Amino acid sequence: MLPALIHIAKKEIRIALRERLIVFLGLIIVVLLGVALYAGYVSYKQQKETIAQTRSEKRQEWLHQGDKHPHIAAHYGTFAFKPKTVLSLFDFGLDAYTGTSVYLEAHYQHEFMFRPAQDHSSMIRFGELSAALVLQILLPLLIIFLAFASFTRERESGTLKLLISQGMSFHTLAWGKILAYSLMLSVILVFFLLSIGLLYGMGVTSEAIPDTAVRVLLLLLLYSIYLFLFIALAVWVSIHSSKSRNALLTLLTCWIFFTILMPKALANLSENIYTLPSMREFKAQIEADKRHGPEGTTPLSVQKANLEKEYLKKYKVDSVQQLPLNFEGVSMQAGEEFGNQVYDHHLGRLRKLFHQQNRMSSIASLFNPYLAVRHLSMALSGTDMYTSIHFEEKVENYRRELIRKMNKDMAENSEYGKFYGYKAGNDLWQQIDDFSYRTPMARELLGHYHLELISLLLWSVLLITLLTYANRKIKPLHG
Amino acid sequence: MLRADNLTKKYGDFTALNGLDLSVNEGDIFCLLGANGAGKSTTINLFLNFIEPTDGQASINAMDVTLHDRETKQLLSYIPENLMLYPHLTGLENLDFFCGLGGKSHTQDQLESLLRESGLQADFIHRRVSSYSKGMRQKVGIALACAREASVLLLDEPTSGLDPKASNEFSELLLTMKKRGVATLMATHDLFRAKDTGTHIGIMKEGVLVEQFASEEVSFRDLEKLYLQHMHN
Repeated sequence: MLPALIHIAKKEIRIALRERLIVFLGLIIVVLLGVALYAGYVSYKQQKETIAQTRSEKRQEWLHQGDKHPHIAAHYGTFAFKPKTVLSLFDFGLDAYTGTSVYLEAHYQHEFMFRPAQDHSSMIRFGELSAALVLQILLPLLIIFLAFASFTRERESGTLKLLISQGMSFHTLAWGKILAYSLMLSVILVFFLLSIGLLYGMGVTSEAIPDTAVRVLLLLLLYSIYLFLFIALAVWVSIHSSKSRNALLTLLTCWIFFTILMPKALANLSENIYTLPSMREFKAQIEADKRHGPEGTTPLSVQKANLEKEYLKKYKVDSVQQLPLNFEGVSMQAGEEFGNQVYDHHLGRLRKLFHQQNRMSSIASLFNPYLAVRHLSMALSGTDMYTSIHFEEKVENYRRELIRKMNKDMAENSEYGKFYGYKAGNDLWQQIDDFSYRTPMARELLGHYHLELISLLLWSVLLITLLTYANRKIKPLHG
Repeated sequence: MLRADNLTKKYGDFTALNGLDLSVNEGDIFCLLGANGAGKSTTINLFLNFIEPTDGQASINAMDVTLHDRETKQLLSYIPENLMLYPHLTGLENLDFFCGLGGKSHTQDQLESLLRESGLQADFIHRRVSSYSKGMRQKVGIALACAREASVLLLDEPTSGLDPKASNEFSELLLTMKKRGVATLMATHDLFRAKDTGTHIGIMKEGVLVEQFASEEVSFRDLEKLYLQHMHN
């Protein structure tokens, strides 16, 4: 069977190359892919340089802020930056919405800044031209134009009868054509691989993703499967269509449904079912709870009074002034922890909504391979929601540790009631390491995407089964 | 080689072929005559297993074509009324492709030689089929049958629309195949060609083989009279 497959594939490739339209469309895709990668590279380079420069400046500002009270330093604060990764230039994912830097200070969890989505018109919601967008949306369109007439044209021109009269089965013909289209499209994937290799060669690497090579290979595998699914679908539809026009209409309807209608409808539906609070509402709720204490918790004033009693008892003294440490520092840390507790409570509710929205999208991906690939592509490129949450958690932990160290220093070195009497210096600032970030490993991330992986597996099995078994009874003539 | 036993094909209430019995042996050229809709092409399509019989059996080399699709197709070559090839490929490339499907490997020289023997002008061998006339495409079909070393030839009105010269050349090629022992079943409207080339002739009407005889048993004039008589009845 293999020699026959190769024989058919060779013929298909030869004809496709002689039909200039397909070559022309293929070149357009390659050019778009090249433009998208180049635009991604320019944006990556600019952002990386800006981040590197700003990060260095902010670090120097922190280290050379001069002598001051640790709590003033905690409010002086610093910045944390999300490193731009080499794969984010391939798939921008949620980067446009999640922001790349955040101001860190005591008591407050500030919003992330520099979100490109804020600087663009609402058209960004239709997708910026990224290499991932080209592979996810435009390449399937090329596949449709390449393969919609794979069988109908043979039937219409009469060559199908001649082929079948040679003893060829629909099964062998179908797989020969699939092999041909796969080989032709692999040129585009090889171009992608070479581009990533070239970027590596140009020194575009990132320490933030420890397993870039694994991710690139997984991306290649992912897109190979995705493109195979569209090829198999196009060939199967062509086998079962009486005319080329019908096959084209069916496939274009599928394409519009998979890549435009269903994702947009799903986004609207999930937003309606699991409505997110606005940033203003979210912050207002946190502030209200910080003032009054969340339901079921002890108010901060009571907690501080209890803590004071505890310390007085522990050190066997009558007043906070007699304590061997500055109780203001301890109290400040207690206030910080109370604020953190309130923040975690609200953030937990917000994230639950995010997860529910994501869960809905994951379930929908079982019915739509485009959604599965979109989610997995973002995950492997380090631009998905889970990587973003992972980064936010690392940043918040860093902020909490910074404030804890400031409060500890205040408690250990300053005197009660003499706020301006103590100033910490460079030694303390040096104890705070610069913030650095590494994404989770791909294997860890993919654990969040079981349904998407199952979707691709199920679609592959379904289409292979259809192509293998549903063609057995088909004849070149109806009757 | 070719045998039909009570071969029947119905489409709902319409009977396209009704209880056909015939056999074509090695070196025979069996010509099926009849008006449009008489069941000639249905017979060919049943032998090709392009459609399933409602009743009866079509067999090649004693193998039921519905049960031994692959094996029987290895033995046959088929030339339809209008042989369609890939217009973006040359005659040689088309021949190479279709030969390769059957697992037969030939050198380029052998294929070129087959095309020349089939009467294709040498300067057309490397030209794209889009520039070929119908007769040229039929010649590629004959070359394919020779290359595949087919022992059965199924022809569905192969000379329809050919000019007399091309039609004559085609008949010559059939006679060459006959000498090689190829069993040929040909559906045709061309009484003259049937008498001239065929060894056996069958007349079909409304899905029934109403007459069959050896072509040497009748003169062309008698054949014409018999044919018209059946058509008018």
